[in-house]
Amino acid sequence: MLRLKVATQTAVSSQLHTRILALALVLAGVLIFVHKTVRYNYPIFPDDVRTVWNLEVLIEFAADNRPVRIEAFLPARGTGRDVVDEQFYSGPFGLRLAQSGDDRNRRAIWTYRFPEGLKVLRYRTTVIEESGATPLPEYMRREIERVPPPFESTLEQQAFLVWISNLRRQSADAESLIELMLQEIFSDTLSDEVAALVPPLPAPLGRLELARILLESQGVPARIANGVVLEGPRRRAETVSWLEYHIADRDRRYFIGGSPSAFFPIWYGLDELVQAEGATELSTQVSLQPSRLAGTSVVTSRAARDDWVLNLFSFDNLPLTTQLVHQVLLTIPVGIMILVFLRQFVGVQTLGTFMPVLIGIAFRETALLSGVLLFSLLIALGLALRFYLERLKLLLVPRLAVVLVFIVLCMAFITNLTVGSGVRLGLSISLFPMVIITMTIERMSIVWEEYDGMEAIKQGLGSLAVASLTYLAMVNPQVEYMMFNFPEFLLIIMGLCLLMGRYMGMRLTEFHRFRELAGPR
Amino acid sequence: MNVLDFVSGLQRKGVIGLNERNLRLVAELNPRRLMRLVNDKSITKRLALSAGIPTPDLVGSISNSFEMRNLKDMLTYQKGVAIKPACGSQGNGILVISEPMKDGYRLANGRRILFEDLKFHVMNILSGMYSMGGLPDTALIEERVHFAGVFDDISFKGVPDIRIIVLEGVPILAMLRLPTADSDGKANLHKGGVGVGLDLVTGMSKLGMQYGKTIDLHPDTANSLTGLQTPHWDEMLTMAAKAYEVTRLGYLGADIVIDAEKGPLLLELNARPGIAIQVANRFGLRKHVEPVLERDTSDMTIEERIAFGKEVFRDVHPEPPLAAAAE
Repeated sequence: MLRLKVATQTAVSSQLHTRILALALVLAGVLIFVHKTVRYNYPIFPDDVRTVWNLEVLIEFAADNRPVRIEAFLPARGTGRDVVDEQFYSGPFGLRLAQSGDDRNRRAIWTYRFPEGLKVLRYRTTVIEESGATPLPEYMRREIERVPPPFESTLEQQAFLVWISNLRRQSADAESLIELMLQEIFSDTLSDEVAALVPPLPAPLGRLELARILLESQGVPARIANGVVLEGPRRRAETVSWLEYHIADRDRRYFIGGSPSAFFPIWYGLDELVQAEGATELSTQVSLQPSRLAGTSVVTSRAARDDWVLNLFSFDNLPLTTQLVHQVLLTIPVGIMILVFLRQFVGVQTLGTFMPVLIGIAFRETALLSGVLLFSLLIALGLALRFYLERLKLLLVPRLAVVLVFIVLCMAFITNLTVGSGVRLGLSISLFPMVIITMTIERMSIVWEEYDGMEAIKQGLGSLAVASLTYLAMVNPQVEYMMFNFPEFLLIIMGLCLLMGRYMGMRLTEFHRFRELAGPR
Repeated sequence: MNVLDFVSGLQRKGVIGLNERNLRLVAELNPRRLMRLVNDKSITKRLALSAGIPTPDLVGSISNSFEMRNLKDMLTYQKGVAIKPACGSQGNGILVISEPMKDGYRLANGRRILFEDLKFHVMNILSGMYSMGGLPDTALIEERVHFAGVFDDISFKGVPDIRIIVLEGVPILAMLRLPTADSDGKANLHKGGVGVGLDLVTGMSKLGMQYGKTIDLHPDTANSLTGLQTPHWDEMLTMAAKAYEVTRLGYLGADIVIDAEKGPLLLELNARPGIAIQVANRFGLRKHVEPVLERDTSDMTIEERIAFGKEVFRDVHPEPPLAAAAE
């Protein structure tokens, strides 16, 4: 009797224990969430924000015991724009900041006498996005004298004169002349005169520079701006160049291939973002992350910066590239929670415990429809191979290896096929988890043999459905935003999973399984 | 049928779902360190022998490719053999061989298998294809069980077996599992075998089920499943109760087959017996489980436990099965 009492007591106490722990976790999560939202007015929806961006420039290079000098352009200050909160990571390098005479460009210059091995330099700042409505600085608005084009050869000068007089004839005023001119310079096929005039510079810069020269020759102030287009989080943002000029009392910007809604210029002129002396294997990475901070909120608040709770549950101090990784990582528990729910409450059968979530993560790279298609295609091909291999009577591990190699081969093939046809899918499968696919194929084929094809396909489809659901949850902007900005939700998710771990009721599918026992009587 | 009736019906019959089985029965009553006693069939066999529970004779075992050369000798065993993964689950990976024939062997289901294919199968077992977690495994070669008796008319190409659920040493529910054409001669319910509820007191068969649906005739032989007397019934209950004594697993499924010469033999033990037995018995586990958990059974003898189990069963299922069949 006593022994049994003890047994039931432990059963009761583990139930109680779980509930208390879960409650504590959920409560802690909710408290931190409330603290953030009420005290510091953290925005709960991602739409409130997106006006402030974290910009990071990461420079990596190899050094060989020779003096190294790295120069990088930084966003200029004091030209009507606000650059908040700059941080440099320079390691042992000496750092000097230089502002060019006309205030247009600002530069960081890192130097070191005897560096050795792989080096990393980092610059971080928070910037406020600009749009077509952002005014150009004062010096761009002043009339300038016509600058004679710097063409030296008579051939070029003649080509220029012919072209300009043609344009004059076709246009009504200075404004339409410029429009015609830009249209010709940036058209797909260049006329012979224009082709002869384009300066020998890397791809878009040559035409931009030609446009700038022509604008100034007509007395229009113009400059080439280089920066980034702000569309969303980017781990490797490409820098783009565009033309800024002022005509007929209007600020104009010319982007090749259409104007983006938001962008941010970093430097002006024809130079590269980073110039290096004495370094090899130079690689530059610009990353972007939209931030929750709306002008007045946390970043300016001293109190918030000293709040340890806030600092503990926020990623603001991490490098931007790491932040972006965390943004993905933090959504995974949401997917896992959905999986737990589907298994314990609904009773969905999947191949492998966490396999659907891993497939769901892989869908991030491919988007849903193409991901599902790709997954199904690979599984079908792999299963076909697996059934063929059955005849060769191979040992388990080598057989798995053959299937895996085959999957990689298929992926390479698909990439090649789709790249030609202009579908983006091929390039995005790099992270598709081939090991998971291989194990899925093996499990499916065993189910196929031991039961039948229907059962195998049923479990495969079940896994795919769960994968799609978890994917949709994980890429939901609201989920992504909430998880990243309120990581305390992890505590809540953990608590919920604990509670689900003690769920003893029926699964939805078991109502079907035990249908014969149900009903009144 | 509306949803509420549906759910309340399940509740009234005390049906236990997988979540509850895992938490309340398996996790509470079966300590993990004891599980290995039944996960590895070679250990189970040794334990059974030491407790005097009869099992099929072990012809030999193969645990590495070097021992593969003994395979041919083992296959010459007079009664035929069954090849099993020691750590297999759900009956996967089991091959039953009846006799040698030209170029190979005759399987119990009548098909022929080449020796090469047989060797490949054993290799797959060794590499862990059928074991839990894919760990390397051992292949057991056991004598083949020859079944003869009352269930011949309701079995299709294979050996029926009897599953008895033992809770803290007390047998509480039993069912007969019959092979069908769908299940390819295997008695596993999820492969399409037929489960037939047994009256725990008498060993008499009641109604059956296949794929979760009630049936009263065998799907292949069309003979009635009801009203057949299981032979050696009390002996089987004793074997099942003894299995608890040697494993100490509080929630245990004992699988027993009846050999024509040797009588009942313990085939394997299961530390996570399934819950389909509820459908076969038309009743939930809970009503059988709770009276046992409320009583302290630790001082009872095996006979007292069996008597207690029968008492609980009769409380839940009052009418004798024959009367029910006669209705």
